[in-house]
Amino acid sequence: MLQVRLPSRRAVSCLVRAGAASLALALSFGPLATGPVRAAGPRVVSINLCADQLVLALADPDQILGLSPYARDPLRSFAAADAARFPRLSGTAEEVMVLRPDLTLSGRFTKRATRDLLREQGLRLVELDTVRSLDGAIRQMREVAALLGHPDRADAAVSRIEEAVARARSAADGRPRSVLPLQRRGWVSGGDTLMTSLLAATGLGNAGSALSRGLGRQVSLEAIVALRPDLLLLSEASVRPEDQGSALLQHDALRALYPPEKRIVLPELLTICGGPMLADAVDRLADAVRAP
Amino acid sequence: MVRSRRGAGASAALAILAVALAVASLGIGPVRLAPGTVVAALLGQGDEAARLIVREIRLPRAVLSLAIGGILGLSGAALQGLLRNPLAAPSLFGAPQAAAFGAVATLSLGLADALSYALPLAAIAGAFLSVFLLLAVAGREAGLVLLILAGLAISSLAGAATALAMNLAPNPFAALEIAFWLLGSLEDRSFRHVAMALPFILFGGALLLSERASFRALTLGEEAAQSLGVEVGRLRLVVIVGVALGVGASVAVAGTIGFIGLVAPHLVRPLVGSDPARLLVPSGLAGACLLTAADIAVRIIPSTTDIKVGVLTAIIGVPFFLTLIVRERRRLAAGLAA
Repeated sequence: MLQVRLPSRRAVSCLVRAGAASLALALSFGPLATGPVRAAGPRVVSINLCADQLVLALADPDQILGLSPYARDPLRSFAAADAARFPRLSGTAEEVMVLRPDLTLSGRFTKRATRDLLREQGLRLVELDTVRSLDGAIRQMREVAALLGHPDRADAAVSRIEEAVARARSAADGRPRSVLPLQRRGWVSGGDTLMTSLLAATGLGNAGSALSRGLGRQVSLEAIVALRPDLLLLSEASVRPEDQGSALLQHDALRALYPPEKRIVLPELLTICGGPMLADAVDRLADAVRAP
Repeated sequence: MVRSRRGAGASAALAILAVALAVASLGIGPVRLAPGTVVAALLGQGDEAARLIVREIRLPRAVLSLAIGGILGLSGAALQGLLRNPLAAPSLFGAPQAAAFGAVATLSLGLADALSYALPLAAIAGAFLSVFLLLAVAGREAGLVLLILAGLAISSLAGAATALAMNLAPNPFAALEIAFWLLGSLEDRSFRHVAMALPFILFGGALLLSERASFRALTLGEEAAQSLGVEVGRLRLVVIVGVALGVGASVAVAGTIGFIGLVAPHLVRPLVGSDPARLLVPSGLAGACLLTAADIAVRIIPSTTDIKVGVLTAIIGVPFFLTLIVRERRRLAAGLAA
């Protein structure tokens, strides 16, 4: 879901005083009202990792003024290689205020103070919701493509995802298996997440739904052992215990119950956001399930 | 002697209590297991899940809480004996905070990972540095005020440095991990953690216990002790090394757990008298009981996320510390006037 928020009343009245020209700019909302600024579509800044993915996939290079600090993270950003060509911003309000893009994309959970400050400056800010399903991801891609002035550009990525889902469906063997998506410090993805939707597309059940109906929660090792899901889903094959949180994934109890053949590895960059990478995520999951 | 028989009796009672608490802690956790199941699982029988929960998750946790509580209690008693001062304790001297900094710095620089022996070694170095620095700054005849102020400064510095080191590390989960290092926890530890910490804790404990006679001599004053053949300089170094080994190894696997070392000796003093030599073993046992009990409590108190055991020991320890200050008010005031 997308939500466009208008600048606060105070900010608007400020702008009225500032002059008619800037008022016209501030009020030029809606995907079709990009105005005569530039034919290629609105110039955009992203201050959120998932927005980075969509911008890189759907915008023209000359539209992109800057990306979030995580855009180049090789572990979490699918389009990290692409992102290297564009300015890396700090994710705070300052640079955005200087760049004055036509459109700023943030996440729903980007720092509140940053979002408020940008709105007060009269910048157009669109908050992207966390994607909770494949359908939601497809919807969001279409909406962002329209915002960026290229309403048809999402079609290719969407049909790739739909083909991958169809392939996975036809390959599913109908054995009901429960998979627990487990992250550092015992964080488990809950029922209402993209992960549940990805697993369902390949005929698998999310064991995490039993522990959390929402986004997920942190659970103790004991609860995991007692739940005994059929498979574990991790984001890395061999976790280097760089801190106590990731050391948990190497606990003897987990190693005893889940030898490598009972672990599915799906890199975080394929599942953390909505976007074109979901086609690869579905393919990888389907392969992993077929393997044993 | 009546006193020594009383001391032995108290030690035996505390040891029994510690074992009882440890056994009870095996039966408590987020997954409910019947006592019969726990016993069977401990003996290697029954359901695999129950066996893993009891033997691989709860047993190492119980071992760690006994060992860490024990060494913290022992360290507190040793420092109080060395400084002839009832307000001495590792956590007031910033030792756990400095140990946490040592551990975090090695992790942040990527020198070691969280399951390697480099971690306790770095934490031990941090703890050693802080206690050494404190005793050097405060000097030989340090008054209470001086010790406490210097300890406050060192622990604040080490806490801030820990947070900074974590922020500078390329770890996006720094905020969570900082909370871990500053508030200790024993949740979901394994026998690998036990193997990392226990050897150092045992060695540190043995060092401290080996100096019991010196502590007793020291109650007569430094000069008298020296005439009895106690080298005070060497004794100080041995105590610093012993405390650093114990505290550093504990922090490396459990984060900072404060105030056990302050509270434990005071709890047993009414039972065994104030002879610092006789105080050591009961203080260690009392520390083991305290930490194990606290670690049971954090599992029983209903909450949505896990309560850190370090939070609980601080909540109990700080009011205790304030009461002690009130009791020592006159001496403290005299220290300020001097």
